[in-house]
Amino acid sequence: MGVRDRGAATTTRAVPPAIVVRCAEDAAAVLRDVLAGVEEEGVPVRVELVPGGDARDAATLAFAAARASSLDVGVGIDREGAGCVQHAKRPEDRPALTGPRERARLLGHNAARLVTGIPVKT
Amino acid sequence: MTLVAGVDIGNSTTEACVAELAASGEVTYLGSALAPTSGVKGTADNVEGVVTVVGRALAAAGRRLAELDTVLVNEATPVISGLAMETITETIVTESTMIGHNPDTPGGAGLGVGTTVDFGALGECAPGEPVICVVGAGVDFEDAAHGLNAAVARGVEVAGAVVHADDATLIVNRLDSPVPVVDEVTLVEKVPLGMPAAVEVAEQGRTIRTLSNSYGIATVFGLDAEQTRMVAPVARALVGNRSAVVVRTPEGDVTGRRIPAGSLTLAGERGTRSVAVDEGAAEIMGVLRGVRPLTDASGEPGTHVGGMLARVRDTMSELTGTEPAAVRIQDVLAVDTFVPQRVTGALAGEFALENAVGLAAMVRTSRGPMRLLAARLREALGVDVLIGGVEADMAVLGALTTPGTGTPVAILDLGGGSTDAAVAERTGVTRSVHLAGAGDLVTKLIDSELGLDNRELAEDIKKYPLAKAESFFHVRMEDGTARFVTEPLPAETFARVVVLSDAGMRPVPGRHSLEKIRQVRRSAKHKVFVVNALRALEQVAPGGNLRQIGFVVVLGGSALDFEVPDLIAEAVSGLGIVCGTGNVRGSEGPRNAVATGLVAAHALAAGLDQAVGE
Repeated sequence: MGVRDRGAATTTRAVPPAIVVRCAEDAAAVLRDVLAGVEEEGVPVRVELVPGGDARDAATLAFAAARASSLDVGVGIDREGAGCVQHAKRPEDRPALTGPRERARLLGHNAARLVTGIPVKT
Repeated sequence: MTLVAGVDIGNSTTEACVAELAASGEVTYLGSALAPTSGVKGTADNVEGVVTVVGRALAAAGRRLAELDTVLVNEATPVISGLAMETITETIVTESTMIGHNPDTPGGAGLGVGTTVDFGALGECAPGEPVICVVGAGVDFEDAAHGLNAAVARGVEVAGAVVHADDATLIVNRLDSPVPVVDEVTLVEKVPLGMPAAVEVAEQGRTIRTLSNSYGIATVFGLDAEQTRMVAPVARALVGNRSAVVVRTPEGDVTGRRIPAGSLTLAGERGTRSVAVDEGAAEIMGVLRGVRPLTDASGEPGTHVGGMLARVRDTMSELTGTEPAAVRIQDVLAVDTFVPQRVTGALAGEFALENAVGLAAMVRTSRGPMRLLAARLREALGVDVLIGGVEADMAVLGALTTPGTGTPVAILDLGGGSTDAAVAERTGVTRSVHLAGAGDLVTKLIDSELGLDNRELAEDIKKYPLAKAESFFHVRMEDGTARFVTEPLPAETFARVVVLSDAGMRPVPGRHSLEKIRQVRRSAKHKVFVVNALRALEQVAPGGNLRQIGFVVVLGGSALDFEVPDLIAEAVSGLGIVCGTGNVRGSEGPRNAVATGLVAAHALAAGLDQAVGE
């Protein structure tokens, strides 16, 4: 006779654990690169597009994204394509990583590595 | 009552103690200090360091320079030590026959065999042929997946792929039917096209089974027994990999070559013999044991070892005004080690651990400008300076102030450039020996085996414990306990092994695990200090029998290391001797032995109304 986890049966998971990316609508090309980096590392990701007017700086977006992520890692991409990776438990003004649009792919890899627990790529 | 200072000028550190001597010969120690040695030990350059340390010791004693009557200084004889490393093997991949860099995120799983074809030429492939697609730089992963799917739809059997970018997972996620894909191949343009090739990727957490097996490669390419023998080094090189590519090129090969590293000539009292450096440390040390006591050593010109021995000789020659030919190398220590080197002909930046031999050499002289040094000191301090007796005698006297010691006693002085030993009966020192190989060699071994190319970091790894950064807020220590930090760790430290140095947590570059770095650290200390401790004790023990020694006291800067004294004690534990780190005067630990001994000897002599020194 096994152990039945009645708790699991009654609670339905709405979304699978994932990194959250909050991206300004205008930065779609950069978003693709970030997502490619995360996917290559094998970590699930969820995207929330932010309309032009509401888009803040990358760090603010990243922090909000990290809080929204059940894996505690968030990526923020501002309207110019600059990116930032945050962890929900870090202070808001001390993001884990930042990068220009040219290094968006690398940022994606490293956001995922904060989840998988291996050293970041340089 | 006289106030005296005993000063020990060492290779790296100058130590002093200040004491009050009563007319009866009773000594009261008041304070001690240390400072880095200025210049080469035993030269007039040392004056600056001595002045500094005497000042500090007086301050610790609560006395002023004007109250000082005498400075006792050891007969500091210059010791020049040198280190060299010769790599004695190399790995060469010819005709780009193998890719074994083991990237982090390969794609697919399984074994694919086919003919290599460039991605751009995929459209011209006839249906039915199995191919391995080579995707070069600049091809977007969506386009790559699209092209592969299109080829498969036409009937081409795409069995696997080799990709330049870090895109394997991305590509495989978009394939209609997944195949093994190896990525991050930096020099993908060197992959031979039109050749039979095999790509193998194992499931996560597993290793390849076919390409790491000579018979597996033979099966894939239909090789006969002789061809299989030739291909065996390829299989061997791929053992333990999660992914690999093997290309069947006509002359392709992976060879491990021995690099000729010249010979070492050891001249001793029992003869002169030469030994090839690439025979390894055991062979070299065996030859040394056969000709010992060593009278001189030289290496072949143009080799690292030869150059180092020549440099050591020249430095000593300049220092003492002796002809280079008259300088004698007194001891060498050879150590087997590893150096990560780039594989020649590699396509993806592969490294191999090549064998290397490290050699430490040492020369000391009894001639040094001691009188000049003493005169300069007199001028600088305005105090009488007396040159004390033989260093080993002073060290033993100091060591015997360790509570619990008795004679016969052997002292082991573990320094930076040399390891010294002396054995003493109640009457005084009977034998002493000075060996090459000490703290500096340990640092060099750690530096090269971890591929750091950073002497300072290697020194920190030697001295301080390690930890692994598990989150932004805590690290896990070597013993498994967690230590928390108040400020979040920077991203460069995340998930890395760090050294807990005095200056803070330093991340260690590379992907070595904590266990591996720890093992390298302990093995380097063992290869140098345990080997030398036994070598030294064997040479000073009565009749070469260590059991005749009652007590071994370990002294010197390297005795402060958190592991070395335990490693030595463990090594001699079966011999029934008491071995431990000294505790000079019950308070100084392994430091200040010679300085204390100088004062003790002076007091004894003063008490007996005899003059000491000059």
